[in-house]
Amino acid sequence: MLSLKLAWRNLFRNTRRTLLTCMLVTSSLVVIILVDGIMLGMIDVMVGGITKTLEGEAQVNRKGFRENFEPELFLSDPDTISLALATDARVAGHAPRVIIGSMIASPYNTTGGLVYGVDANSELGVSRLKEATYEGSYLSGVKREILLGKLMAELLEVSLGDRIIITAAQVDTSEITQALFRVTGLFEFGPEEMDQSLAFINLSAAQPLMGMDGHVHQIAIRFVDPEDAKNKSLPTLINLNKGDVEALGWLDLQPSIGGMIEMSSYASAIVGAVLFVLTSLGVINSMFMSIYERIYEFGVAKAIGTTPRQIITLVLLEAFLLALMACAFGILIGYLASSYFESNGIPMGRMEMSGVLLDGNMYTQVRPYQFVTFPIYVTLLTVAAAIYPAIFASRIVPSRALQRAL
Amino acid sequence: MKTVIETKDLVRKFGEAETQVTALSHVSTSIKEGEFTAIIGPSGSGKTTLLQLIGGLDEPDGGDVLLSGTNIANMSGKQLSDFRRDHIGFIFQSYNLIPVLSAEENIEYIMLLQGVSAAERKARVREMLALVGLEGLGDRRPAQLSGGQQQRVAVARAMASKPDIILADEPTANLDSTTGIALLDTMRDLNAQLNMTFVFSTHDQKIMDRADRLIHLEDGVIQLDETRQS
Repeated sequence: MLSLKLAWRNLFRNTRRTLLTCMLVTSSLVVIILVDGIMLGMIDVMVGGITKTLEGEAQVNRKGFRENFEPELFLSDPDTISLALATDARVAGHAPRVIIGSMIASPYNTTGGLVYGVDANSELGVSRLKEATYEGSYLSGVKREILLGKLMAELLEVSLGDRIIITAAQVDTSEITQALFRVTGLFEFGPEEMDQSLAFINLSAAQPLMGMDGHVHQIAIRFVDPEDAKNKSLPTLINLNKGDVEALGWLDLQPSIGGMIEMSSYASAIVGAVLFVLTSLGVINSMFMSIYERIYEFGVAKAIGTTPRQIITLVLLEAFLLALMACAFGILIGYLASSYFESNGIPMGRMEMSGVLLDGNMYTQVRPYQFVTFPIYVTLLTVAAAIYPAIFASRIVPSRALQRAL
Repeated sequence: MKTVIETKDLVRKFGEAETQVTALSHVSTSIKEGEFTAIIGPSGSGKTTLLQLIGGLDEPDGGDVLLSGTNIANMSGKQLSDFRRDHIGFIFQSYNLIPVLSAEENIEYIMLLQGVSAAERKARVREMLALVGLEGLGDRRPAQLSGGQQQRVAVARAMASKPDIILADEPTANLDSTTGIALLDTMRDLNAQLNMTFVFSTHDQKIMDRADRLIHLEDGVIQLDETRQS
């Protein structure tokens, strides 16, 4: 208890220096909490951008279909798959799709793109096509409806009500087929590639167009718990992986995003490491200054029988108390700052990363571990940074320290 | 009376080559239990060096120091720390109390190092404060005490561990005459009551007047060793 009291009081011999060091450690903790919160927010936006925009959290496709969107690679028994998904409590929604690589022509221009034949109601539970439709109306099941991406509509120089001709090769015969549609809505997902190359028609129109009645190319899935999509041993997906059918979560569907998430966690670690190195240097400097000021006292302490280990313990205890104090402030300030940005966001402007649009504010995410794990790291590292000064103090030779007196 | 301090052919040199200075040259002496000894001599005569070597705070270049028959050269760093803690009390010229601890806590600190129980520590602190005449001032920090009071706390701290030997370097140098005399009388009383061995390095005539024995050092050599009737 006396050692604790001594260490605590030693901290306040030079209050200004202690507070400055404390602020340094506090700042590092706050920055780490914020950076982690931002990274989590960014990952959330990126994952959300992938899974909520169109792809879904998981997909069932024929093997090889996603490589080139070959129309022949359709699911031959989608009803069984749909039934399995409809009765699975883990699945919140699923949407069957026909995906056609086709020529899309207006009276004024022509472009290539992917036309999705979707079931309007099912799609509501999987993608945000309806929310992205900013002009006109969402699909209602009427045969000749088509939704165009904003950029595609600009390219084709069409607006609501204009005619669009879809030209594609039928699945069975490879014969060229054409169908007429009228633009009923314009959507904007955000990423340029999507808004320029995607169009949506009703599934009931797409299947006969492609000569694939009753068949679909893809079934997109949304889970009740989004974490299920990352679970490679999830029965829902395992049971669907049969023969030439593959059911994959978004991490497998978009390995580049998985890589980016991994990279962002490295980025957090690098930021943390740099901060900790700088903080450690500050702590080492502060502890050394404190020791140099008391070098005579350490000489006395050793003279009266304090062992090197006891001196090390005292210096480390001082560092520990400094870290505790800094962490208390850091947790408070970090929580307030992170909570503020969780509610109000950090203005980030508009940018696209790996096909995901980051637009507007970046909202941090507050997680309990940020206020437990990071302070523990900060405390351990502060104490670790004090080891060198502590060893230095323990090696002070009493006769040299006491030269002015004994 | 048994011999508690013995030095044999002690040599201590500082610096190297041309700048080398011999602080102590083949100093041999012994001090018996309960003696009140003053090492005297001009500045640079080697008094402090001798005290440091006796206290195990420095290592000799030659010769041996035996404390209660134990050669401290054979001790490890930890053994030496423990030995100092349990057998030697130090009193310094500049008091050297820990400024952030109260008088009581300064006295208690060394007992904490010894692993004395909290209850015994408290009791012994009260006892020591009474011995040095500082009852009621135990909760004051050093800065709130006069120089004489601080040195009394230092004496109490030195004695709290119940050492066999107390080594004091110029303990009255920073005190006014009256305070110095009062402190010396306290130490003399303790010496008489507890049969504690006191060794001083000093220029102070007041200490010399009260010492049983005077060891005159000059240029690192004992010039005179006189025992007096107290």
